[in-house]
Amino acid sequence: MPIQYYIILSLALFCIGIVGVLVRRNVIIVFMCIELMLNAVNLLLVAFSKMHHGIAYLTDKTTTTGSDAQLFVFFIMVVAAAEVSVGLAIIVMMYRNTHSVDVNFLNRLKN
Amino acid sequence: MNAIILSALLGVVMMFASVFTENKIAIRNIAIFGLLILLASNLLNIYTPYSFNVDLHNMLRFDSFGLFFNSIAIVSTLLYVILSGSDIVKVGNYPAEYFALIFFVLCGVTILSSYNSLLMLFLGVEIMSIPLYILTGSDKKNLKSNEASLKYFLMGAFSTGIMLMGIALLYGASGNFNLEMIREKTSIAEFGILAPLGLLLIFISLAFKVSAAPFHFWTPDVYDGAPSVFTSFMATIVKTAGFIAFVKLFSLRMADLGPSYAIILPVIIIATLLVGNITAVFQQSVKRMLAYSSIAQAGFMLFALYTSNDLSTEGILLYAAAYSIATIGIFGILIKMKDYTFDGYNGLAKKQPLVAATNTVFLLSLAGIPLTAGFFAKYYMLASALKSNGSALWLVIVAVLFAAVSVYYYFRVIQAMYFKDGDAETTEIDGTFKFVLVVLALLIILIGINPSILLRWYYF
Amino acid sequence: MIPVLLILIPLLSGLVTFFLKDEKAAKSWSLLASVITLAVVFSGLFIYNHNNETTFDTEWLPNLGSRFSLALDGMGKMLTLLTAISFPVVFASTYKNSYKQSGSFYGLMLLTQAGLMGVFLASDALLFYFFWELALIPVYFLCSIWGGEKRIAVTFKFFIYTFIGSLLMLAGILFLYFQTADHSFAIKSLYNLHLSAKSQNTVFWLFFIAFAIKMPIFPLHTWQPDTYEQSPTAVTMILSGVMVKMGIFALIRWLIPIFPEAVANFSTVIIIFSIIGMIYASQIAIQQDDIKRLIAYSSIAHIGLMCAAIFAQNKIGLEGVMIQMFNHGINVIGLWIVADVIEQQLGTRKLSELGGLAQKAPTLAILLVVLSLANIALPLTNSFVGEFLMFIGLFQYNIWAAAIAGVSIILAAVYTLNMIQKIFYGNTVSLTDNAVDAKNNVQWILIVLVVVVIVLGVYPQPLINLTKDTVNTFFVNR
Repeated sequence: MPIQYYIILSLALFCIGIVGVLVRRNVIIVFMCIELMLNAVNLLLVAFSKMHHGIAYLTDKTTTTGSDAQLFVFFIMVVAAAEVSVGLAIIVMMYRNTHSVDVNFLNRLKN
Repeated sequence: MNAIILSALLGVVMMFASVFTENKIAIRNIAIFGLLILLASNLLNIYTPYSFNVDLHNMLRFDSFGLFFNSIAIVSTLLYVILSGSDIVKVGNYPAEYFALIFFVLCGVTILSSYNSLLMLFLGVEIMSIPLYILTGSDKKNLKSNEASLKYFLMGAFSTGIMLMGIALLYGASGNFNLEMIREKTSIAEFGILAPLGLLLIFISLAFKVSAAPFHFWTPDVYDGAPSVFTSFMATIVKTAGFIAFVKLFSLRMADLGPSYAIILPVIIIATLLVGNITAVFQQSVKRMLAYSSIAQAGFMLFALYTSNDLSTEGILLYAAAYSIATIGIFGILIKMKDYTFDGYNGLAKKQPLVAATNTVFLLSLAGIPLTAGFFAKYYMLASALKSNGSALWLVIVAVLFAAVSVYYYFRVIQAMYFKDGDAETTEIDGTFKFVLVVLALLIILIGINPSILLRWYYF
Repeated sequence: MIPVLLILIPLLSGLVTFFLKDEKAAKSWSLLASVITLAVVFSGLFIYNHNNETTFDTEWLPNLGSRFSLALDGMGKMLTLLTAISFPVVFASTYKNSYKQSGSFYGLMLLTQAGLMGVFLASDALLFYFFWELALIPVYFLCSIWGGEKRIAVTFKFFIYTFIGSLLMLAGILFLYFQTADHSFAIKSLYNLHLSAKSQNTVFWLFFIAFAIKMPIFPLHTWQPDTYEQSPTAVTMILSGVMVKMGIFALIRWLIPIFPEAVANFSTVIIIFSIIGMIYASQIAIQQDDIKRLIAYSSIAHIGLMCAAIFAQNKIGLEGVMIQMFNHGINVIGLWIVADVIEQQLGTRKLSELGGLAQKAPTLAILLVVLSLANIALPLTNSFVGEFLMFIGLFQYNIWAAAIAGVSIILAAVYTLNMIQKIFYGNTVSLTDNAVDAKNNVQWILIVLVVVVIVLGVYPQPLINLTKDTVNTFFVNR
């Protein structure tokens, strides 16, 4: 399958994520959209990893090219998990004070 | 390498400190001691061969630029902790954890100052940001703090996503995460559009981090909502670290890759200066004014990206030091005020002459008046732009006009302190606090008389 | 060594003054310091006037190509002399006035003096910029703390105006720095620049706006009358006596030699603006009821003439400017002293509320009449020589310019004589019934000034000699 398909698919997922972050009002949903963005990146990285490995394999059968991107994916997962734990804690803290998870609440700061 | 390992370890030490002692003063002193050790280890790393040696696979590279910035960041944090330490422990019930988080942020800062791989850039940004989300929300019962924290978190995570997409695209074009290798390979890459697009996305996400317009909108709310002690930390050390990461990314002349980079950057610089300065003029709260002023200062720091020469690298280091020292001082005083509006400062000069005098020095430095460090910081930035090409003169003229605008809001504080009658109420101010203020002011004036006092440490 | 002393003495004594709690001590100390500075200037002019004693040069910012280099030469000699004379005169004439927190007041005054000295002595562009700003900051505090009712807003306007100007100048200095062959800020390197016509035309304005704001030239003058009115009179004396000369000095030293082509291109425009400013300011001065505002507008008119004469670009006009810079300083300080005496004693500055003061204060009246005649530039007063030379210079440039500018002399006579008449002659009014003559210290100071006015009016040669070198080299180089 050509690499373009992967690029288009993950860019599409990424854009869905961005649009979701910008238009949704529920913090949990916004949060999920950010995760979607990260996972789009993961998909793309894996695809590129495979591609670069394939190119390098043609000349050198023992190449490890491309493994770094797969490692990167694990790093993204780990960091995303850390981020989620902090983020959920913040959301819980806010919910305790306001009994709501609506982003519109944020506008109050401007005054 | 010393600073990275030690700051992470010290963070853990601070977490355990809370198990053994409840004494807030003791905890603060442990943190100060830890920072001194951190500074010493970093200096050892720079000036002697005593440093940890691990095979890093060229992911981190320690050059004098990054290491020297580490020193600046650690010294600023040290001064910040000595100055405002007694206010940090008052924010909530877990003083030791705040210091632990500050050490973790420093760990992220030290990674950012020496990354050589996009993976490390990503990790550094995250290690720096995640503890900050918690610090922003540390005033748990305060709704403003909650909201600031949530907003900061959402914006941070969002910009991380954008950065990762940029990194992925850049990887697709070059097959590598290493900065130098990317530079080599992309020029012959077949995926022509991927590299510029990826760089643009990384650029945008870093612009989020350093709050450059038009990606600045979260800054005033977050800086205003966070507990003032932590705003001080965010606006200084963290922000300058963002710029160091930025400069490192572009110092490899990656700018050549970017799409119409020569047009985008001046536009961003002017937009940042415009938004920061003009909005700051209309603020009634000093804290919010400082948030906008930090955007305005970011506009000047962006000059370091405009060109890449010796003046711009020296200049960004000088700017980081000058801006951090002055802002830490101003925030230190702000925290002591009972009323954060301009009127709250009325008559401070009569009640606290020393505090008012040092605050004046800090404000003059931010405004860029000669004989203060801030002047040379701005000077280096403007000079670096003009050094590369004389046609940047118009950009320099725009920048100096905005510097004149900035005088308006900085001097409003001076006017309130000296020329207006009032009863500026402060919380208790002790001798150590005043002493540190004087030290900060002296540092600013010394660097203002001769910046090579600072910069000669850069060329060891 | 002399130039360093000229900056260090006021600087250090100023810092000491901040800690003097006693009012009397602060006054005596600052008077003493300023007299010592004056003595050092004299020794620099007449005794230790060899080159190695009047110049100073040391490393300052090696990375940036800037050196800490000072020189007491040509025009600088005259203006340092003017600065050194002004401060003791100001201190002595306001000796009986009392200021709150007098330690800080006199400390800031001395810091201003240090800044002014630096401006007139610096022969390195970055250093010049430093002192240019440093002279401004203490004045900002002086006016804002000890000024009149509207002081804060007015002084702020003044500060923003001049700060914008000086920042533009900084951009210009930076640009020039990167054009110099040896990457240096030294005045010699700047003089040796050969800039393209295009960049001359741009950078010229960056410098000119900074200087025009300081002088001030129409239409950038709007800060000036308000600031003069609201400042404490001691500060106003320094502002109008010495600080406006910074602008003219800088024009001659830092602008004209560096941008010859741009000067030739724009001289007509600038002369037109100067002349408009002269007529306009004189016209407004006639309508003023407030003594301080009247003197302020008259000062704009005089400065306008100097600026026009500089851009007339001939030797005789430039000689006139040199002489007039010094003389205008002396005259205007004298006028301010009289204004201050009247305000301190009677509590008003309104011409309409005054009258018949000559009966009560004859000495003051005589002295003010002499100073006023000097302000109109009557023969035998010091201003006559300067203005006469400037008009000849302007005449050589363009007969119409000289003719229109000449109208301002008539207008000057109108408002000055009107002021004397309203203050001193006619019948006494209720306010002036109980007036007494000026105090001894003021009288003596005014007598000294009047003597200077008359001596320099009869025998102006010393001033011409002092600045001869500058004028000559100026036209040899071109």
